[in-house]
Amino acid sequence: MVALGLATVLAACVAPDEHGSTVKVAPQPTLPQRPWSFEPLGESALPKVRNTAWPQRDVDFFLLTAMEKKDFKPAAPADARTLIRRLHFDLTGLPPAPGEVEAFVRTCNDGNQKAETEKLVARLLASPHYGERWGRYWLDLARYVDETASWLEKTSSAHLYRDWVIKAFNDDLPYDQFVMRQIATDQMGLPPADRHALGFLGLAPTYWKELQLPPDIIKGTVADEWEEHVDTLSRTFLGLTLACARCHNHKSDPITHEDYYAVAGVFASVRHAERPTMGDEFWLPVKKARASVVALEKERDQLKKKKPVPADFTNQVAVLEKKITDFKTGTPHFNMAMATAVEDAALFVIPAANNKGTTLSFQPGKARDLELMKRGDPNKLGDIVPRRFLSAFPAKDGQPRRFTTGSGRLELAQAIVQEAAPLTARVIVNRVWKHHFGRGIVDTPSEFGFTGEAPSHPELLNDLSARFVKNGWSIKWLHREILLSAAWQQNSIASESELRDPENKLVARMPRRRLDFEAWRDTTLAVAGTIDRSFGGVATPLTSDKNVRRTLYGTVNRHELEPMLRIHDFPDPAAHSASRTETATALQMLFSLNSPFLLAQADALAARLEKEAGDSLNARVTRAHGILFQRAPTAKELALAARFLVGRETDKKAWSEYAQALLASNETQFVD
Amino acid sequence: MNLPISRRDAIARFGGGLGTLGLMASLPGTMSALPNPGASARTLPHFRPRAKRVIHLFMNGGPFGPDFFDPKPDLNKFAGQRPEDADLRTERPTGGLLPVPFKFSNHGKSGLPVSELLPLTAQFADDLCVLRSMHTDNPNHGPALLLMNNGTMTPRVPAMGAWCSYGLGTENANLPSYVVLCPGRPVRFSILWTSAFLPSQHGGSYINHSNLDPKAMIPWLHNPRTTPDAQRKQLDLLAEMNREHLATRGGADAALQGRIEAMETAYRMQFAATDAFDITRESAAVRENYGKGHFANGCLMARRLAERGVRFIQVYYGDGQPWDTHSNHDASTRKLGANIDRPIAALLGDLKQRGLLEDTLVVWGGEFGRTPVSENGNGRDHNPHGFCMFLAGGGARGGMGYGETDRFGFKAVKQRMHVHDLHATLLHLLGVDHERLTFRYAGRDFRLTDVHGNVAREILA
Repeated sequence: MVALGLATVLAACVAPDEHGSTVKVAPQPTLPQRPWSFEPLGESALPKVRNTAWPQRDVDFFLLTAMEKKDFKPAAPADARTLIRRLHFDLTGLPPAPGEVEAFVRTCNDGNQKAETEKLVARLLASPHYGERWGRYWLDLARYVDETASWLEKTSSAHLYRDWVIKAFNDDLPYDQFVMRQIATDQMGLPPADRHALGFLGLAPTYWKELQLPPDIIKGTVADEWEEHVDTLSRTFLGLTLACARCHNHKSDPITHEDYYAVAGVFASVRHAERPTMGDEFWLPVKKARASVVALEKERDQLKKKKPVPADFTNQVAVLEKKITDFKTGTPHFNMAMATAVEDAALFVIPAANNKGTTLSFQPGKARDLELMKRGDPNKLGDIVPRRFLSAFPAKDGQPRRFTTGSGRLELAQAIVQEAAPLTARVIVNRVWKHHFGRGIVDTPSEFGFTGEAPSHPELLNDLSARFVKNGWSIKWLHREILLSAAWQQNSIASESELRDPENKLVARMPRRRLDFEAWRDTTLAVAGTIDRSFGGVATPLTSDKNVRRTLYGTVNRHELEPMLRIHDFPDPAAHSASRTETATALQMLFSLNSPFLLAQADALAARLEKEAGDSLNARVTRAHGILFQRAPTAKELALAARFLVGRETDKKAWSEYAQALLASNETQFVD
Repeated sequence: MNLPISRRDAIARFGGGLGTLGLMASLPGTMSALPNPGASARTLPHFRPRAKRVIHLFMNGGPFGPDFFDPKPDLNKFAGQRPEDADLRTERPTGGLLPVPFKFSNHGKSGLPVSELLPLTAQFADDLCVLRSMHTDNPNHGPALLLMNNGTMTPRVPAMGAWCSYGLGTENANLPSYVVLCPGRPVRFSILWTSAFLPSQHGGSYINHSNLDPKAMIPWLHNPRTTPDAQRKQLDLLAEMNREHLATRGGADAALQGRIEAMETAYRMQFAATDAFDITRESAAVRENYGKGHFANGCLMARRLAERGVRFIQVYYGDGQPWDTHSNHDASTRKLGANIDRPIAALLGDLKQRGLLEDTLVVWGGEFGRTPVSENGNGRDHNPHGFCMFLAGGGARGGMGYGETDRFGFKAVKQRMHVHDLHATLLHLLGVDHERLTFRYAGRDFRLTDVHGNVAREILA
């Protein structure tokens, strides 16, 4: 029996049903109609609103008109303390320092809230911590890992892709460039140092292929890999479930069975590769020197095993060691960073020479078009499908763009940001919106076809996406449009809206949002004063008590996800994750109650309170609330602390227990 | 210490499965697992369950059926030969038929044949439903392990235990709903119990029980610094701060309440889990009955967890793949047989005595079987074409052998049962229609059985 696996589950691809606002599917073979998200972008005239004083930005007009139609009123504006906490977490994933808070509140109280908020947004967008916060969101989509199983392709330079992503956000690399470089930077005439961008493809999951098995089986595994790559590419950039078309025409979107193979052919024409990040003039000598070192090391190791031991053994080893050292120190850029990337090479799965088992035959520089696989079965082939873009997005000549240069990665990337620009722009605008508002305009952020949710504010998304493209695909521009809106600056307490619109589809309030694990752990380190704010570099295990770096620098292993991450809703890095599920489980709370990490940070926070606030109980408790919650404690909170600490006011352990309770509290983990 | 479970606890996010969704909807203050639009099942179970929980005894590496439950006299008759009419090819070079040195006799009222390797387990012959015609798709450990555990060979879908937890929730909010016991690491490790795209609380809690101290088994179960009383006081403070925080925010935020409740559950779990995983609390007589060794300890722990309402428990036989007998097959198998016989018999007896076997489904088997022909002279290669498993209790018909392999025990030939069929049957016994337990992800309605699976109705009691 042939290895079908996921291939066959595709037959179960869903047709729209009674859930949500999907539409009926046209019967096959007529292709389904084009979904709203494929239509061209266009700016709209601002809708009329009754409450003309409320809107601050264009998005507010669209939101307010929808509210007014349903007789909703926006919530009151959030106060300055709430606002600065919200802004810091949204943009950097770290809490504001107490001094910053007080200065901001003072200026706002002087009547300068609007200008001061604009300044704060600009300052936070310029912070290098911004890229860490937003880069991590991207890494969920890119199923980023630092390590994979030992028997699979190596990922030793994974962190350089992660750092590339962080830098791209910090530099506000235009999103269309950001997309293209991750698919084809090596074909864009950019410096080789940019090859780290290819980690998006280079870190893709691979599956074990036992080459003793016949090609029929191995072809199934290889086809499953291609499917993963097509799936991640299409969901990440286009919000489309293109992999649904591996076995048949897509059941609800105008994507044909052929479309799938036309794109999958690109992945059949690349292979994982570690690639140099400098030009050939530097790389070729390094390549040669590295090969020499490998050969010399082999010679040395064989010498060490030799029996009987040669007479001048010590001398011989020393000579070899010297040669090795000379190569390493004498070759410029010997330790040049390598990119975990891909290169063009067509893969053919063929019988091994002796007809026992399988050979994976890679043909460097070549590309291949795939045969259509009937019902997704790599052993039931149909006609060859030339590599090209999706038929639903024709180029100017009316035909989908053909992929003719190498694997076609660059042409694929171009088509994504040109022919499919309306879709590509809507998808990223919606992702950013969802991170800021807790809910997307389309709340299925990687499904923009008919199986996904219909947009709550289609004109808003249309207009905002059009202006996003017009403003150079600038993500930072998009942040400003959202964060400076009246909608985003609403209060999160609005009982009428909570009651009448529990899902907050109308955005008549700001939803209360929980920090993800990264932001919570980082906050813990920041308030305890132990945080190491250094940027980038090799990942280190979160299990180490000494690890006080930001959480996104903790090691992620695809084969064995660290339990600390797993229990805190970190997505399975074996696949693209469109958004995280939020759970509140007892295992998470055990981590809060008992983990050495939290105990150590509680000690540090208690010590900080003692140092900064002296011996007075009230002063320490007040300082704690300032650091953690950006506000003074209430009388009741002071009384609670006093009752807990009574008779133990000088006991460090008691203060640590108090600090731990604060770190584990809901107010620490939630943002209003 | 087993504390009573409140209604609210039972549906806290920790264990909230689909089966509890109806209840959740009626409790606005509870953080519920978000009903997935693709979760076509509105109410679970779909029909009356015969089993409430599963204990899966996993012989990682793959046992050979004709050693235990599928007597094949022709193996001995044609020992050393490769009869021309039989296609016995596998992936690696193999020799002639390797005879089985273990004697069979019939047991119980049913007369079910069991070999001399399992004399104690054989006493439960009338409870065993032996599946002799299992088959799978791939002769490699990794893909076969994935197919058996996750229903697909591609490592990105949820494990069957995760599906059960998701579909049925837990009966004890103070314990994880899906527990995996392994004294070490099976090949492919944690992907075999992943929740994948299901909410993470449904993933298996992996317990390495080679150290029997519960504190060593479960991360963060124990606070090294404090006493239960002092921690209670700290939690009271935290709860009051959280309630104050909630009150100033309208008092009805389910996410805030969910964390407050989960914190209390965690406090109780420290005692409940310490108790559940501590087999030293069993009497000397019970310990002796199970025998010594990791597998015996795992079986006893499994019984304790089943008693306490854990939904899905897997006991891996051992580290790596101890049943992967590419050489010295007979000697190894004799040892392995001796190591599992007493614990399995003790487990079945214990469950029976406590009235738990009725609604606990015990599953025994590996990821595939082994070849009737020899490898390396005295070993056996992997065989995905035909292998044996058994079910006991939980609505499986006892005292029966289901299906047949060919005369050498190589390929399943009659009443063939694919792994998908096993999963469909297993879910059926749990009251779940395998076609209706789905989760929408990436545009598809995923399910444990892919697009396959037939319930083997003949084996239902």
